[in-house]
Amino acid sequence: MASVKIPEQKVILCGEYGVGKSSLFRRYTTNTFVTATDRQSTLGLDHFDRQYNVGGKEIRLQLWDTGGMERVASITSSYYKFAEAAILVFSLDNPASFHVLSQHLLDIVTYAENAKIFLCGNKSDLEGQSPQVTENDMEHFCEQCHNLISATYKTSCKTGQGVDEMFADIAQHLVESNRSRLELQSMDTESFKITPPDDVTEPSCLC
Amino acid sequence: MDEEYDAIVLGTGLKECILSGMLSVSGKKVLHVDRNKYYGGESASITPLEELFTRFGAPAPDDGYGRGRDWNADLIPKFLMANGSLVKLLIHTGVTRYLEFKSVEGSYVYKGGKISKVPVDQKEALASDLMGMFEKRRFRNFLVYIQDVKEDDPRTWKDMDPNTLTMQQIYDKFGLDKNTQDFTGHALALYRDDEYLNRTAVETVRRIKLYSDSLARYGKSPYLYPMYGLGELPQGFARLSAIYGGTYMLDKPIDEIVLENGRVVGVRSGQEVAKCQQVYCDPSYVPERVKKTGQVIRCICLMDHPIPNTRDALSTQIIIPQKQVGRKSDIYVSLVSYTHQVAAKGWFIAMVSTTVETENPEQEIKPGLDLLGPVRQKFVSVSDYYEPTDDGLNSQIFISASYDATTHFETTCLDVLDIFRRGTGEDFDFSKVKLDLGDEEQ
Repeated sequence: MASVKIPEQKVILCGEYGVGKSSLFRRYTTNTFVTATDRQSTLGLDHFDRQYNVGGKEIRLQLWDTGGMERVASITSSYYKFAEAAILVFSLDNPASFHVLSQHLLDIVTYAENAKIFLCGNKSDLEGQSPQVTENDMEHFCEQCHNLISATYKTSCKTGQGVDEMFADIAQHLVESNRSRLELQSMDTESFKITPPDDVTEPSCLC
Repeated sequence: MDEEYDAIVLGTGLKECILSGMLSVSGKKVLHVDRNKYYGGESASITPLEELFTRFGAPAPDDGYGRGRDWNADLIPKFLMANGSLVKLLIHTGVTRYLEFKSVEGSYVYKGGKISKVPVDQKEALASDLMGMFEKRRFRNFLVYIQDVKEDDPRTWKDMDPNTLTMQQIYDKFGLDKNTQDFTGHALALYRDDEYLNRTAVETVRRIKLYSDSLARYGKSPYLYPMYGLGELPQGFARLSAIYGGTYMLDKPIDEIVLENGRVVGVRSGQEVAKCQQVYCDPSYVPERVKKTGQVIRCICLMDHPIPNTRDALSTQIIIPQKQVGRKSDIYVSLVSYTHQVAAKGWFIAMVSTTVETENPEQEIKPGLDLLGPVRQKFVSVSDYYEPTDDGLNSQIFISASYDATTHFETTCLDVLDIFRRGTGEDFDFSKVKLDLGDEEQ
């Protein structure tokens, strides 16, 4: 929007059904947690903006959830479009959810080539129980995908541990990588979002 | 899949996705299934380029076409009217937040073997090469009348009541010649044939106003086109449906629509049966409940240059009115390009389409193809146009019509809103869409 001066950075959550993507989303939006999978509580919620200050520079992260479309592998390619960052989420107590991430990674590099990619092991409160995905496994994964992964995190949506830190760190990464790119982008394209006609106070062009 | 739903939607074409979104938002439990692995059905944008070549049985593209996945080729060419029904639907449902658009740069009309810019305001009318000097003045007076006239205010009618006079009578009152009537009816009011001449003028007045109001919103032309192709539209509405609880399944064959006493009770895929109260679907899922009412020919043309005589526009629409080439229906030419992320750098996709009238449809689109200049690769398809045989009220199976040859989405939206009304017994309540949370511009 022309009226928003701080650039929004679209951040998407990717990963298997049940690893805690919507829980991360709920922590991010309302800082709450519900145990059972309760779609009701995020029904109609599309994405959520939160502002971060990184070394005096304002940045707005816009977090998007899948809406449950991954359940039968039916995520739209549009979901990835315009994403600046993608968080690959798996459950630390579920190795299968970790090993399948290469497929999700492929989707990200196909549909959102420019997105920075982050790896997030969720459910760290269950650490110590087996089976487990170890730090070693995570490092190994990062090496295998040729350092496409910008950073790795461990979070627990149940306790809230590591969640805020992760998003703050992602904001930092985006500010650093975007410094030059944002300036390039501003002269790149003259495409725009459609806005309702009545409350247009200035030209609604993104250029 | 073995659950009970209020509605099952079959096919993820644009119409079905809009319906699915509106049903989910209205609180219905929706299962949305497609037999294909991808979203969009007939209204998909095909990517990568190799897939398009395979689809039409052509040998794989050579290296000259750039990177295959930079291509998103529409199967059905359409633009959005900037002030039209689809844009209103996008705004009211919030789906506009998933999309970015560009204005289409040029809108042209064909006359006597060459193309001219469509004149829409008084200034352009006076500068246009479509009319002689005296005709220009008459056309200008006509435009002023259209601009000022209000359907329900007799003081604006200037003794010409658009509610009772036919369009032909209005044209005659202004003394417009056949040629001017032609581009007014076909390039401004966007009629496909000449039947409108004998109907009351009010509908045509509305259509011309839609054209000029649309033009006023973003300039250049009244048309918009989404980045990454039209296939983004159904996906946007699918996401709307999903975030309101809709369940999505792609790559799922449908073997049977299960009926009891002539009324739908479920949908079967293999051994699984999903129960439901209603089914919404496109014609391809119910061949026995639709009738073929015509054919549309579409020709996709890959080119490495813009259309000649369009000032190198990177996107264009050209309308060839039926009479100019001795036909009963218009020929449409549309062009989009790399600037919309639908083709590799330096490439353009043109589409020529029309309603089939003869045994040799390829010959029918020749006047359109002749305007394009050299074409690197051509894909021709002739598709049947289907309409449902009944209104679905007894069976509770609501079927959309195929996509017609028009170049915009006005008829598409009318069909969708009509189906929704038949299926739910009410008009869609836009206030049910939550736009406040996480949407700072509201």
